[in-house]
Amino acid sequence: MATEVQRPAGEGKDDLLRTVDEKDLKPVHVWPNLVSIELIGALTITLLLSLMAIFVAAPFYRMADPELTPNPSKAPWYFLGLQELLLHMHPALAGVVVPTAVLVLLGAIPYIDRSKKGTGIWFYSKKGVPIAVFSAIYTTIWNVGLILVDEYLPAGGANGIAPWLKMHGFPDAFAEIFVPIAFMTFIPFSLWTIVKRRWQADMRECMIAMYSFFLASFIVLTIIGTAFRGEGMALSWPWDIPYPPHGKE
Amino acid sequence: MSRLWRYITSSRLWKSIYRNPYPRDKRSRAMVILNSLALHLHPVRVPKRATRITYTWGLGGLATWCFVLLTLTGVFLMWYYIPTTQDAYWTIVQLQTEVTFGAFLRNLHRWAAHAMVLAVLAHMTRVFYTGAYKPPRDFNWVIGVALLLVTCLLSFSGYLLPWDQLAYWAIAVGMEMGGATPFIGKQVRMALLGGFEIGQQTLIRWYTLHVIFLPLACILLMATHFWRVRKDGNISTPVYEDDDEETLRAVEARRQQLAE
Ligand code: HEM
Repeated sequence: MATEVQRPAGEGKDDLLRTVDEKDLKPVHVWPNLVSIELIGALTITLLLSLMAIFVAAPFYRMADPELTPNPSKAPWYFLGLQELLLHMHPALAGVVVPTAVLVLLGAIPYIDRSKKGTGIWFYSKKGVPIAVFSAIYTTIWNVGLILVDEYLPAGGANGIAPWLKMHGFPDAFAEIFVPIAFMTFIPFSLWTIVKRRWQADMRECMIAMYSFFLASFIVLTIIGTAFRGEGMALSWPWDIPYPPHGKE
Repeated sequence: MSRLWRYITSSRLWKSIYRNPYPRDKRSRAMVILNSLALHLHPVRVPKRATRITYTWGLGGLATWCFVLLTLTGVFLMWYYIPTTQDAYWTIVQLQTEVTFGAFLRNLHRWAAHAMVLAVLAHMTRVFYTGAYKPPRDFNWVIGVALLLVTCLLSFSGYLLPWDQLAYWAIAVGMEMGGATPFIGKQVRMALLGGFEIGQQTLIRWYTLHVIFLPLACILLMATHFWRVRKDGNISTPVYEDDDEETLRAVEARRQQLAE
């Protein structure tokens, strides 16, 4: 059995990425090999943050005024993905159900993908990077497409998918809860199916697709929420967004 | 100079603090790790690969360091800040205009908070794409998810404290979301606000969470996280086979062999 382990890098019978040389696994002393890197890292980040603190002032507007709603009114950037969702579905879904589901599903990853094979290998196999890239592009197209449709689909006086459905006699719950849930499950599910068919993906490779779906959605929604939402949270170009927002200075 | 140095390093006081000489040989390099509080979180030796920047990118370490910076600058901010709706805003104004390094340390606190959220997200992404969440590290990944949540909450709870327009309305958006919780929305809103609207009760609640509860929770989780990294066999190394017991033993034997 020991021969299995000694097999040199690159001679696998499967297509796992064998980029790690056995020499690289030889133990070295933490002092100084790791401690020095940690020290340099800590000093570098301290320096960069200090420079930033010297040259860029933390935002500070006028005193809180419950009467004066800024337009647009935004949460900090890491929640803007959720705030973006808020524009497209029932608030209970965007504000509570989706974030809870995301945390639970993230936590569940190691309990769904349990094989140890591929631990410690960047992108696992030769298919890893193509799957991740494909998943990110697939997700981005869906996200951007749905956001555009929801912004511009004419529905009587308003715009959007939910108003359009309601105009055609569908109940509110169907338009604001059922349809968004259907999209949010269909995108990852279809991605899983495509990756499985096209690449004969195993469990780890399917997980790479799922995480890439999560990551790409987070990044796309955060960017749109941060840089492309202006007055009244309407889609706008970054340079058209009032800064500081009305009512904040 | 060197005599003075020798005098200092051979004094009782120095030796009572640093149990071993500057580490230059195998033995003292091991002892320095084992004898120091901060360093003993590490193993004495690690596979060379674990020290490669391109494996971990040092991101967990950067998140930890951000937390340290935030604690230090945060204590400083607490010296001046008063958590009441009349004073909060003005103590920040005063801090920025009258206190030496006040503006600098406030800025540093703010930027380090953003950096920590970024570092944690990036760290999670590196752990994911290197498959480092797989057993036996599965539960440590779960602790990590809890840390992600606590990090975001820490950052968000700090957002309200300056009591300016940005703070107030960001929290208003947050409350709108929390208040939409199915079935218990009203109760959740009440608990977060400490009343019917954002006011003194809200500020004191978020302040307490921000300076006591969440940091303690974060420290506890980080301690568990680091401890688990050690107990789970340190930073992950490549596994090419889906290991049965026998292979695992062979890997372990091989590692021992390499270590000699
Ligand atoms: C405050 C937040 C966090 C801190 C301070 C932290 C710190 C660390 C440190 C210092 C390490 C050692 C290796 C490295 O730096 O990559 C580590 C490893 C690890 N972390 Fe975190 N972490 C945090 C959040 C997370 C999150 C959000 C996850 C995942 C959801 C996670 C999962 C893991 C796992 C599985 C390992 C073991 C990796 C391996 O063996 O290669 N951690 N963490």
